[in-house]
Formats: sequence, structure tokens, C-alpha cells
Amino acid sequence: MSTGPGPFEQVYGKHVVGIYRFVYARVGNRPDAEDLTAQVFVRAVEQLDTAREPGQIAAWLYRVAQNAIADHWRAFYRLPLVGVDHVAPGWEPADDGAQRQAPPDERASIRVQALLGDLPDRYRRVLELRFLQRMSVAETAQAMGITSGNAKVLQYRALRKAALLGDAVDG
Amino acid sequence: MAEERDPRAERFERYLDALIAGERPSPEDVASGDEAEMARLAAEMAGAASRDTADPDPAFVEQLRLRMRAADAGLAAVQIPPPVRDLAAEPAGQRPWRLSRRQLLQGGIGAAAGLAAGLIGVSVARPSPVAAPSLGGDEDLVAGEGFWQKVAQLADLPPGTAARFSTAAFDGFVVNDSGDVRALSSVCTHMGCTLQYRPEWQDLRCPCHGASFDLAGQLANGRRTWRDQPYRGDARAYPIELPDLVRPRVKVADGVIMVWTAQA
Repeated sequence: MSTGPGPFEQVYGKHVVGIYRFVYARVGNRPDAEDLTAQVFVRAVEQLDTAREPGQIAAWLYRVAQNAIADHWRAFYRLPLVGVDHVAPGWEPADDGAQRQAPPDERASIRVQALLGDLPDRYRRVLELRFLQRMSVAETAQAMGITSGNAKVLQYRALRKAALLGDAVDG
Repeated sequence: MAEERDPRAERFERYLDALIAGERPSPEDVASGDEAEMARLAAEMAGAASRDTADPDPAFVEQLRLRMRAADAGLAAVQIPPPVRDLAAEPAGQRPWRLSRRQLLQGGIGAAAGLAAGLIGVSVARPSPVAAPSLGGDEDLVAGEGFWQKVAQLADLPPGTAARFSTAAFDGFVVNDSGDVRALSSVCTHMGCTLQYRPEWQDLRCPCHGASFDLAGQLANGRRTWRDQPYRGDARAYPIELPDLVRPRVKVADGVIMVWTAQA
């Protein structure tokens, strides 16, 4: 005798890809994204009231995901991090299921684009080649006409500059 | 630009290299608060750039769906054994010597024998007469074809500390528990998440559900000890008993700590 999916499986089916993309956009690798996604839904099984409104359920899941990511950074690095708990502007998790201004995984991409735009040209270039085009250090160095050693120094300084700019934005 | 070398940039490149390759990067390559901010930004850039690969692995989605389904059936999530991948269906050429954390969690000698059937150089050394033993405690993780791999210097492991290591067959920690050096698997015996060492608490903490293991590999924040001594910083006791962490065979010679592992 088959019954349809139960409430948890329905919530899961509706949100697993969105939650995974949300997490992946912030941790940048599959193993961490899988661990944190699993953590969100295991917590849902333990604590989510599936009788709530769909908007409330969605907001709850994304808030749990946000906290899981914040805990991940704190535990992972065991170092003080600035602005880890800040929610990107425009995305306010709310119990009343308030409208989201942009899909959660889009906000991270917009923030990254804004930071890249504020960088000096050489810094922006090295980060674009490494991250957006997924080039190795050797390939990046060749494309920019510098040595691999210099490319590593350049990407280090570029990220440091970008991180400082990010702090200024988050305030 | 004249040739420059910066040891910080060299080390930090290891973090970026893993991240951009799609692997889990190591916090050991991040050495300061500033670098942690840089690493987090790098992770966001890596995540933002992979729009086409940002969908979850279907096998992962299915495995987690089974847990949701079981929850709907009224079982508490923490009491469900992890879904078991059918070993007979594993393709033969798929790095058989590597113990995945799911495989480690199958538990029991029968399952371990099943592991050995498909894996090179991995078995449990002492068959146990007990009907349903777990893989925790003193059983050797690897027997047969193997070798001693150096994982740490004793001088770098003062009492009360732990150090991560990685071998072809498994990952783990070597710990110095008041002078006793031992190796512990880094796989949580609950759902197989990777444990993290917390130097300020001298424990191995699971990021998934908060299980804490002491340097003997035993659950430290469970109900049994909670009544007498609530565990530091936790709001409540860990709700179920967990098996002890698996102990790979370890030896110390000439100040060098080694573990017995399988040939790659």
C-alpha cells in the first residue's frame, strides 16, 4: 500500500535544492555544502513544525541554514570573524514569510560582483582568472605575464584588499 | 614586478587550490583572523562562480530523503542507522581501499567482513565472538597488507593535544592523553560526520549534532555523565549513547608517531 510523501519529505522535496544552492554559494565546495545541508534538514526533523505556513517554513529553513553556515565558519577557523552573522541586505528572514527581494543564492553573487568592481584592475583580474575562470596559478601567471610566485602574492593581496572592502561595506 | 615570494601566500594558496578544485579546504592553511576573512570571501567567490555545478549530487539528495521519509514514519532522526550503500553494487575500480565514512558506520563484524571482500588490505584483525559488535574500541582498523605511516612528531604533541592526519585508507587524529599516545578515527560514530578538534576543550566535536568525544575516544557529553557534570558550554546532554571512536593501530619510535594503514 503506498501513501504519498509525508510532511517532512514534502518540505524536503520543495527546499533541498534551494537550501543546497544557498549553502554552496557561501561555502564554495561540495563536501561542506552537503554536510551543512544535511544539518539543516536533520534539525528540521527535530524542530520544525510542519503545520506552519509555507512562507514560515521557508524562512525558518533559510534561517537555520544561515546559522549553520555561521557556526561552520566559527568552528572551522576558531578565529574571530567579522560580520559572520550579518544577513545580506535585502534578505530578511521573517516569521510572517515576508517577501524575499532576491533569491538567496543571488545575493552572494551580487555582493561578490560589487566587491570585485571596487578593486584595482590587477587585483580584480587575478581573482577573475582564478575563481571565475577556474584557472590554476600557473595558467593565471602566464595569462598575466608574471611568475607563479608573484601570482600567489598577487591573489593574496587581492583577497586581503577585497576582505577589507567587505568589512567596510558590512560596517 | 620583481619576483616575490611570501610564505603566507604560499600556504594560503593551498587553501585556494583545494577550494577551486572543489575539495574541502583545510583550516590549517588559514593562519589569522584576516586570512579567515579572505578565506570566507574566497569561498563565496568559488560558490558564486559555479552556477552550473551548484546543484546537489543526486545520490546525496536520495540518501537524505530516506532520512526524511523515516522521520515521517515516526522514528526520531537520531535513532535511525545511516542508509547503507549496497557494497555489491560498488564499481570494482572505484578506489576500493578508501574507507568512506558511510562504510565505517556500517558497524559489526559481518559488515566489516563485507568491507574486506571488496577492499584491499583492510580488515578487522581480531574477529569478535560477539553477535553484533561495533567497530568502536580496540579492534585494529587495518590488517594484512599495510605499512606504518608517519603522521606526527611526538615533540609536537604535548599532553592534552591532538593532531589531524590523513592516510590512503582513513583520516583521524593522533592524541596525547596525559602521556598515552593513541590514534582515533575522525569519523563520528553517529552519522559519520568528520570530527573537529577543539583545543580549548580538549575534545573532538561533531559539527552535525554536537557529540563530543574525549581523547580516549569515548562520548564525553552523554546522559551518563551529564547528571554529575554538565558538559562545558552545552545546553543539554547528547541524547543517545554512541560507540567509541575506532582506534587505528599506532606506535611511537624515536619520537615519531606512526599509524598502520593500507597500501594505496
